[in-house]
This record gives sequence, C-alpha cells and structure tokens, in this order.
Amino acid sequence: MSQGILKYMSSSIGRKYIMAVSGLVWVLFVLTHMIGNLLIFAGKDAYNVYSHKLITNPLIYLAEAALVIFIGAHAFTGISLKLRNNRTKPTLYAVTPKSAKGASLSSKSMIWSGTITLVFLILHLVTFKYGQYYAYSKDGADVVLDGIKVRDIHQLVIECFEKPGYVAWYGICLVLVGLHLYHGVASSFQTLGLNHPKFNNAIKMFGWAYAIVVALGFLAVPLYVFIF
Amino acid sequence: MNLDSKIPSGHISEKWTNHQFESKLVNPANRRKFSVIVVGTGLAGASASASLAELGYNVKTLCIHDSPRRAHSIAAQGGINAAKNYQNDGDSVYRLFYDTIKGGDFRAREANVHRLAENSVKIIDHCVALGVPFAREYGGLLANRSFGGAQVSRTFYARGQTGQQLLLGAYSAMMRQVDAKKVELLNFREMLDLVLVDGKARGVICRNVLTGEIESHAADAVILATGGYGNVFYLSTNAKWSNATAIWRAHKRGAAFGNPCFTQIHPTCIPVSGDYQSKLTLMSESLRNDGRVWVPKNGTDARSPDLIPEDERDYYLERIYPSFGNLAPRDIASRAAKFVCDEGRGVGNTKLAVYLDFAAAIKRDGRPVIEGKYGNLFQMYEKITGENPYKVPMRIYPAVHYTMGGLWVDYNLQSTIPGLHVLGEANFSDHGANRLGASALMQGLSDGYFVIPTTLANYLGSTKLDKVDVSHQAFKDARAGVEQGISRMMNIKGGKTADELHRKLGKLMWDNCGMARNEQSLNKLLEEIPKLRDEFWNDLRIPGDAATLNQELERAGRVADFIELGELMARDALERRESCGGHFRTEFQTQDNEAQRDDEKFCHVAAWEYQGEGKAAKRNTEALNFEYVKLATRSYK
Amino acid sequence: MAGNNNSRTMRINLKVWRQQNEKVQGNLVDYTLDSVSPDMSFLEMFDVLNEQLVKKGEEPVAFAHDCREGICGSCAMVIDGEPHGPQTGTTTCQLHMRSFSDGDTIVVEPFRAKAFPVVKDLVTNRTALDRIQAAGGYVTVSTGNAPDGNAIPISKEIADLAMDAAACIQCGACVAACRNGSAMLFVSAKVSQLALLPQGQAERDRRVSRMVWQMDEEDFGSCTNMGSCAAACPKEIKVENIARINREYAHAMLFGRVSERVSDE
Repeated sequence: MSQGILKYMSSSIGRKYIMAVSGLVWVLFVLTHMIGNLLIFAGKDAYNVYSHKLITNPLIYLAEAALVIFIGAHAFTGISLKLRNNRTKPTLYAVTPKSAKGASLSSKSMIWSGTITLVFLILHLVTFKYGQYYAYSKDGADVVLDGIKVRDIHQLVIECFEKPGYVAWYGICLVLVGLHLYHGVASSFQTLGLNHPKFNNAIKMFGWAYAIVVALGFLAVPLYVFIF
Repeated sequence: MNLDSKIPSGHISEKWTNHQFESKLVNPANRRKFSVIVVGTGLAGASASASLAELGYNVKTLCIHDSPRRAHSIAAQGGINAAKNYQNDGDSVYRLFYDTIKGGDFRAREANVHRLAENSVKIIDHCVALGVPFAREYGGLLANRSFGGAQVSRTFYARGQTGQQLLLGAYSAMMRQVDAKKVELLNFREMLDLVLVDGKARGVICRNVLTGEIESHAADAVILATGGYGNVFYLSTNAKWSNATAIWRAHKRGAAFGNPCFTQIHPTCIPVSGDYQSKLTLMSESLRNDGRVWVPKNGTDARSPDLIPEDERDYYLERIYPSFGNLAPRDIASRAAKFVCDEGRGVGNTKLAVYLDFAAAIKRDGRPVIEGKYGNLFQMYEKITGENPYKVPMRIYPAVHYTMGGLWVDYNLQSTIPGLHVLGEANFSDHGANRLGASALMQGLSDGYFVIPTTLANYLGSTKLDKVDVSHQAFKDARAGVEQGISRMMNIKGGKTADELHRKLGKLMWDNCGMARNEQSLNKLLEEIPKLRDEFWNDLRIPGDAATLNQELERAGRVADFIELGELMARDALERRESCGGHFRTEFQTQDNEAQRDDEKFCHVAAWEYQGEGKAAKRNTEALNFEYVKLATRSYK
Repeated sequence: MAGNNNSRTMRINLKVWRQQNEKVQGNLVDYTLDSVSPDMSFLEMFDVLNEQLVKKGEEPVAFAHDCREGICGSCAMVIDGEPHGPQTGTTTCQLHMRSFSDGDTIVVEPFRAKAFPVVKDLVTNRTALDRIQAAGGYVTVSTGNAPDGNAIPISKEIADLAMDAAACIQCGACVAACRNGSAMLFVSAKVSQLALLPQGQAERDRRVSRMVWQMDEEDFGSCTNMGSCAAACPKEIKVENIARINREYAHAMLFGRVSERVSDE
C-alpha cells in the first residue's frame, strides 16, 4: 500500500511544510493588519468604522478560526522541531564560529523571537480585542452602523500608546516580529522549494523588505501617538 | 609453480566471447547458495560486489574505512579511456588494445588487454546509466579529452573528479545491494590474513579497527581488490591508508607476486616542500593537454619564470618527442624531468621541479576556458603551494603513483591460490611495465563489472567445495597467528614510531629502486632492508591498547609488510636485467637515454613465490607471446 | 613564495579534544608546537604532534584522514568552531598553516551531532550517511543492461548542475556546522544529482521519500534554512539543492505511490 499523507507530513520535511504554509498565512495577515492600523492616520472615524466593519463581518469567525489553527500548528510544530533539534545536536562547539561559516542572528533566534511573539500576541488580544470597551460617540450620541453600536477602539489605542512602558514593550515585540519575518519569509520560499538562482536574491531582498516594512508600519502608530 | 595463464584459444577479438560461452555457469537458483568475500571497495571491489550481488550471490564486503566511498579510487582525477570513437578520430577497440600493449612496453598479456579494450565501451554505457555526470557537449553528447600515450581523444571525464564520480556510481550500485541484503557491508574492517582450506581460499581474518576485535569470515571464494602498494615509498600519490597488507599476506599464503618492481612514477605532482611532507599530490595528466613543460636552458638562471625569454627556455618534451610532445607517456615524461633536473636545470629552491606553464593556453583560449577545464586542479595547486598558477607556472616533479605489479592472476583473474581472485590495481595483469593515463579506472571497472561475474561462476561451477565455516581448524590457526603478530608488535615497546621507520624505508626505496635503478643501488637496498626490518622488530613503539581504535597499530602492521615487500621489489628489479616502461635500469639504456628492453631474455612475467620467513623468494616466469602486436622499440618521437 | 618559507616557523598552541571512547566524557587538552612551517598542512601539523606524543609514550591524537587531497571526505576537524577551519571551500587536509599566524591558539574539536557519535578523540562514526545512501541514493540498473552512453542526450547545463551536486564528498561538515545537526545539504545533494538527470526520473519519488525517512530515522535534525551547511561545505554545495529536495519531496507526497517504509523491510 502506498504511504499516506501523514507519513509525509510527520517527517522532518513535512513538518517544515507546515511551518512554511502556516507562517506565510500569518505573514499575509500581519501585512493586512498593519495596513488597517495605518488608517489611524486617516482619522478617528475611518479607524473605528474600519474596525467595526471588520468585526461585524460574519466571515471574521472563519478567518479567526483559521488564524488560530495556523498559529497553533506553527507554534506546536516549531516547538516540536526545536526539541528534536536540541536532541540531534546535543553539544555546540567551544568556540563560536566567525560570521563566515556561522548562521545569521535572525535564523538562530527563531524559537525565541517566535515564542515572545506568541506571548505578545496573546497579551495583545487581551489588551485590545478583549480589553476596555469604549462606545464610539460623536456629538454626545453613540454611533450606530447597520444597527450595531460602534466601538471606540481608537480611544483605547491612544490610551495604551500614551504609556511609555507599554510603548517600549510593544516596540521590543515588534522588532522581534521583524526579526522573525526577516528569516521566516525567505525561508518559507526555500522550504516550499521556490528557489532559483535567478530569483534567489530577489526573494531574500523581498523577505528583508517585508520584515522591515511590516515592523516599521506597526511601529509608526505608537511612535506617532506617543510623540505627538 | 604452475603459471598457466589459461588464455582462451581463437583470434584475439574472439577469445573473450568464446571464453564467456565456454565458462561454466551457476544457475540463478543456485547462486544464492554461494557466498563470496570481497575485500576492498574501490572501483574494482565496489563494482564486483554490486555485480555479483545483482546476480544473486551472497556477498560480504570488507571496507577499511567508515564508508566504502572513501577508497582511493575516489582521488583519480583525469578520466577513463574507452574505445567509443565518438570523436571520429580513428579510434577502435583494436587501437586501444594496441596503445595499451605498446604503452606497457610489451610486458602485458595480449589477451587480457584486448578484453579490457572490449569492455571499455560497455563501462561508459553502464556508468552513464548509473547516473555518473560525465562532461557533455552543448548538444548533450559525451565529451572527450586526450591523454598521454595516445593520438586519439578517447578519455571520458567528469571535471577533475572522474574517479570520484565513477566510484560513486559503483558505490551506489553496491549500496542498492546492501539495502537488498545481498551485500553485507563490513566497514571498519582490515583484512589481516587469508584462510586456506584444502588449498583453496575459503575466508579471511580481519580486525575491526574500532573495537580491536579479530574476526573470521568464511565463504566459497575470496576476491581481493585492495589496490596498489605505492606507499612502499612512503611519499606517493596514494592515500595514507592505502596499503599492501591484504595482498602481501595472501602472497605469504601462496599467491605468486607478479612483476613487483613495476612502479609508475607520475610526471606531474606537486614537489616536496619539507621533511614533514606526508604525501604527494598529483596534478592530473590532463593538464598536459594545455600546459607546456619547460626548464631554463641555463641551470644557473635564477630569474623568476616570467622574466625568462622564450629562447632561453627548453621545452624539452616538445624538443625530444615532437609527435607526442607534452603528451608523452608517463614513464618517459618522468624520466625526462629527472634527466633535466639531474643536469642541474631544475627549478624552485630544491631544484627538483620543472615548470608546467599555462601562459600560452590562457593567451590562446582565455582564462575562462582554462578555468572551465582545470579550475578545481588550479585551486588545489594554489591551496597547497600558495601560488596562483594562472599567474606563475606550476612547479611539478615526478612521484610514485601506481604499481603495475601485483598478485599474479590468470586470464580468469584467479591467483595461484584456487578461489582467490584479484582485481584492479592489486593484480599485475593489464598494464605491463607502464600504465597509460586513464586506464586504471577502466581496468578496475572492467574487472569488477564485466570479468569477475563470468570467471567466478566458472570457478564456482567447476569446483567441488565442501561446506566450511569459521570453526574449522584453519580459521582458528590463522586467527591465532594474527593475534600473535599483533601482540608481538605491541610488546616491542621501543623508541621509534611506525611513520619514522616508514619514512626511512621510503627514502631507501626512492633512492635505490625509484625512477632509476642499477645493480649497485639494488644490492645496497637488499643490504639495508634487513637492517631496517630488525630495527622495526626491535625498536618500534605502539602506545595504547590493541583492543580499541589504535591507528599506530594499524600503521605498524602495514609498515611491517611494506618492508618485506620492498625487499621483494628490490630483488625483482635486480633480476630483471633490462629497462622497460617504469623499470629503468641505468645499465640498460640506448644512446639517447631511452629504455632498452631485452626481449630475448625478459619477455616474460616474473612471478615470485614465497618461501618462508627469512628465505629469498623464488622467481618463476610466465612467457609472454606477442601474436598481434609486433615487439618493437617504443618510440614517441 | 611557497617552498621558500622553510626558514620561517611558527609557534602554535593547540587545544585538542581528547576522548577515550564513546562512553566517557572528553575534554580539551593543551599542546604547544614550536616549529610549525607555514607550508605544512593542518594534518601534517598533527603528524608532528603525534610523533612527539608517541615518543613520550603517550597516546597520539586519533583523527580520520586518508587521501589528503580533499576528495575522500575522511578528514573531519572542527577548527575554532568551524568545520574544516576558516578557509572556504577547503577540507582540513588542504588547509595549510600559512592561514594561521605565529602564536595563534587553535581549538580543535570533533564533528558534533547526535548521528555522529565520537569514537575516539577527533574520530566520529559517520556511517549513518551510508545508510541514507543505501535507502535510495542510486539508479536501479544492473550491470549489462545499459543502452549506449550517447542514447540519452543531457544538456551541458544540466550535466554541470548534476556534477555540482555530485561533488559532495560525504564528509559531514554540513551536519557538523548545522546548529540542528541536520544532514539536509548532504541528502539534498545526493537527491539532486539523480533528480536532475534523466536516468534518475523513474524512481524519483521513491528515492526522495526513502532517503528522507532514513535521514529522520538516523536522528539527524531538521533544516531551518540557516545556511551554515553551505558555508562550511568544502565542495561549496549550494542550498539550492535543499530547495530542490523540498520540491522533490512535495512531488512524492502529492503524486507519488511510494509503498515501502525503510523500517518495514
């Protein structure tokens, strides 16, 4: 009998496919999330209305479920691979190799940047999604769209980003997200076999650019709020 | 001693075909009842293991390394010959046969060499099928280059790593059989004795080098494919682990040793740089396709090579051998280099080197073309010497490379011990007194893929073999002998390392039995070697324990055998009172310093028979008859 | 100019990993060599050290080596944290002391990975790589079956690419360099060579599946695309091969009908 998909997916390469696919889903998600965040520069109204439309769309549950599944798979597989790799390389060397034959900081620290990002993500949901509810009122009246009251998420964002401690934590986490993406994006292409000498440099540059754009995009909001 | 070469009857081009038909077969169902031990996993051993297992025999393969792919065939650079005539330059099986006989200075058997030339064609096909990435033309067809001693382009290659690629092909075929459980791979095993039962080879004693355990293995036949003995000279292009122990111990059990003095000195090696030198590195002969060999006309000319004008250079190969030029055969090119260095015209600070210059080729074809052909060789040269051969000429000097001599075998590749077959460089058979470039790979694979499957079946199918296992007294005795030998060496507890004694042997051999020999030097060698043997057995030091990985012990055992073999080489060189191929006796040369054969007295193979510890070996001869190629003085002028 | 350096010698301090066998703990031991020639190879320096040790009645440092011309893949030292030392595209045996300076301290350790147990000192057991080869690193063709060598044209570009992959010497430096102890560069080179050539097409799914499964069974780590393997590879095998094995494996997973599992047999 021919071997089933499970045999393939549970192998070391199969698990890398899981990492790459789930990672890429989240790569796309963080970009859209970041672009949504930037609406804050378009004003309070635009920001709150976008947020309202997003959370009242019935498809959101499907999207959320998918994101939870993918990040769960990503975290679980990532940790299991790390445990396996700790076992298969029990000792490192007495001397750390110089850069030429060493690995990049980003690639070496995936487990840590990933773990902290996961913690950050949970706290982030607690702070914003499940955090303080302010009703969005304009001219003394609550704003209602399609028969549902609009939440003033803008207010919460401003409050959070006025606290220097929170901004610092958020900043550090976003740098780590950037670091994670820095290796993760290009690495996913490699894992999925999308690699050709003609495009390799472009893929690498794209990965780096993506990481920097996403991290800076997210950081723009707290910096703007905090400084101005 | 019976030296029946068992050459089949018929016309030379039909002998092998007839012989295949006349040989006994073993039917497929019976093959699985037979077991064979193969010692060595180079081209000959790996290909033999694979092809015999494919046929259904149970094969046990011994490998001295962790992995079979480390056998020294891996290091062959330039290529493999085959009479494909893809280049339309007039090549044929007969021409390859002719070139090889002539290149060997008429000291090889015609029938064997013709079979080799026939098989050469099938080797390429099989290797391609195995996935060997030979060099290709843009149109997708196989590319060729030229090698020394031939005026046709018949050498197939995979960059400068042909041996590696061919070995990986044979290795992969063998590993397929390991997976199919038809080959039992016994790695980390060094063969230390051959076991005979009723006069037939029935097994081996070996040491597991990791645990020190002495093991016995029994089978219906034994195949040795353990390579050559060039390391007798300490410094050679052979790998450090290459040794003669397997063939030497088989010799001591009764296998005749053929033409031990026929050693090939390769003309293009990187010169020695200091006393610590542990081995010499070959620069492929293919470099002579584009490199020009020269020395300054004036020996005192100490200018850097680029400052020496054309008319003050002596392109001596082109001058002496205008029709073959830089592609003169190896023995001739080596001797010419020695000759100019002896005249005091050598270059470099040791004055023991000549230039191999690519300036003209780079100017003609451009650097990218030269880089494409030889890039990895140039890189290797630069790593070793610290000099850039794109800018300054390489410095090269001859070094011991290959041994044409080896255990005597008949047409079936069987030694004088029934059931003991010897393949590849370990046997003496196909190259006469000098091997042409790119022919060693051909011979190893021909023996392993195409000859032994026929001839082993013939032996197994025509011999009555009793059931024998390792509980037989012969195994117990051999094993006890091996254990005694080891503890004897361990207990000397003297002050010299095996390497130190080996270096001493090497220097004696090179000075007295190297590129040039004479009666005086050989007699001196025969006086010195027994002294060295005494020194070995009285002053050797092996630290540590024999029951673990002990590389000093491994080395010492090999050196002990090299010392004895060195003595036999000297004796053979002394008795062969002529010059031929790589065996150059200074007393026997023409007026223009070429080798002078004596076909009246020495048109034969010398097969030496072991007579016991401390006794001189007995020289037997097998006459060589040349029916197809007329005996003539070799000329490459 | 090389060969003229004989007068200049260097003092080299070595810290060498000594370990009696697989079961006991090892440690770094200090040695000093006073007159190291810059023209010596790294292994020749060890020959000199060993000769001194033997003369003192001590056990020499066990290390794997054979051809000493960079092709057999035996030599395997981690020099200052880098497999085969600081030079790119160079095996330990081809590394020469002119790459170091007078007074340098050099730390020498064995290749480290779970799949490469230390046998003694600097010698490790790398036979796991052979078992991966046996699982599928071949074209199934028995002797005597082959069509003419020129029957299947193979473009020069493809032949060259296959040759690039085939240049692997199975030394295991990729595994040693990898922080995960992964053998993906090795396995991918082997898979790539045959995946690129028409001869390898018939069993491409089976080959990649079985070799990857065997690799996992041998306890090699998983690849996280860090790239230290390719940086350490003495034959400069490229990580493109890893992308290729990923593709091949996906092909086998989605379209293949591979039936056997290595451990079933």
